[in-house]
Amino acid sequence: MIKVNKLFKQFGSQVVLNEISFEIKPGELLVILGESGSGKSVLLQHLIGLIKPDHGVVEIEGRDITKLRESDLLRVRRDMGYLFQDGALYDFMTVYENAAFPLREHTRLKRKDIKTKVLDILKMVDLKGAEGKFPSQLSGGMRKRAALARAVIMDSKILFCDEPTSGLDPIKSRNIMDLINTIVRKLKCTTVIASHDIINSLRIADRLILIRQGQIVAAGTPAELRSSKDAYLQEFFN
Amino acid sequence: MSFIFNHFIKFIAGVGEALFFLLDVVKYIILGRIRWSEVLKQIFEQGIQSVVIICLTSMASGAVLALQSYVMLNRFGSKELVAQLVALSLVRELSPVFSSFVFTGKVGARITAELGTMKVNDQLTATRAMGVDPVEFLVVPRMVACFLVLPGLVVLSEVVGIWGGYMVGVYSAGISSSTYIHQTLSAVGMVDFFSGFTKTFLFALLISWVACYQGFKTSGGSLGVGQYTTKAVALSYILVVVSNVFVTKIILVFWG
Repeated sequence: MIKVNKLFKQFGSQVVLNEISFEIKPGELLVILGESGSGKSVLLQHLIGLIKPDHGVVEIEGRDITKLRESDLLRVRRDMGYLFQDGALYDFMTVYENAAFPLREHTRLKRKDIKTKVLDILKMVDLKGAEGKFPSQLSGGMRKRAALARAVIMDSKILFCDEPTSGLDPIKSRNIMDLINTIVRKLKCTTVIASHDIINSLRIADRLILIRQGQIVAAGTPAELRSSKDAYLQEFFN
Repeated sequence: MSFIFNHFIKFIAGVGEALFFLLDVVKYIILGRIRWSEVLKQIFEQGIQSVVIICLTSMASGAVLALQSYVMLNRFGSKELVAQLVALSLVRELSPVFSSFVFTGKVGARITAELGTMKVNDQLTATRAMGVDPVEFLVVPRMVACFLVLPGLVVLSEVVGIWGGYMVGVYSAGISSSTYIHQTLSAVGMVDFFSGFTKTFLFALLISWVACYQGFKTSGGSLGVGQYTTKAVALSYILVVVSNVFVTKIILVFWG
């Protein structure tokens, strides 16, 4: 369970998150929708402790991570996966080495077992045969899939995805969202996706929240949001 | 007045931040959390890539030093002293400082550009997101490698520089080979060698610290990478030159 209570963050004079509160149930797939610059990515980075709030609480499994020191946060993050907007793959490592990195760092698995696990996950994200390639040799979609493989290789309990479809064409966007959906359902992991891809978000989300100027302006299931009469929501969806 | 005050405060805050960064590195080293496989990779990259340029610059320095000193010393009829002058100048001062300059331009710039690119491409944040401290993973191996590589390069530079001087002394100035070698060996004592060699550890620390810290501070995309890399190189040059004055004074007080 992830619980966010009255989260507030200000950069200079700009309020980015204004007392945001919401909850995410275990195994749920929540999409945070919002225009560019609405604070989606900042919110996501708060959920994994990469940014400290000015005040407010982020509880993960009953533990307020805003109070933790960086060394403790590093331990907490081992059970989480984070898919960055542009993948953030290490460009000096191959796809295989990137995917194997969390296993090498945090487990005592033998080389043979790491290989089996990495090849399995790369097959799952349709990157079989690309193990030896470097990120610079991959297309945008392949980079996202490689980053997704790295994000879930630890069988993470929680997965955060920051704009997984940005920079991709509509077909590739649908494919990556479907892939995320398939993988997280299989792994039964709680998933939070920050996106402005409305069509695909409505298709795969269990629940969505819409952020505007640092505040939640709408929340509910895809059906509830679709049927809402709220003027901004309608404008955003259309 | 407030402008100057604000800049002063900003400067102090920056120095404090850089010191905490260094303390973080020292903490990992003391705790023994050094990734030796990464260190070896860095030693290979830093060392191998610098060998040719260090050899070239050192040989040229030694040769020029011999040419110039021969012109002067020959007027006093003591051209044999060319060997001593070249060897002592290189071992005590020129090799440690020149090699540090070359090392800064080659390795320091590379480290800042590498880490800076990783910073602007979110790879450092991704490292934290995966539960790994980027200081431990990326900075400690680079700094430890610098600490081991630069002294080695300086010794190489001294040998090659002396050889450059030898070539000029023997084949151009007409000093006999045995005289040149004898003069060199009799001139350079352990004190001379260590007074220059000791400095290189300080220079290695300064260069790697500045390079890594500037890499971690980089922002502003590819433009920022260029700016912070230039800043790291300039700052390293200044720190090497200025610290050299103080450390030379201290060494002269204790070792003469």
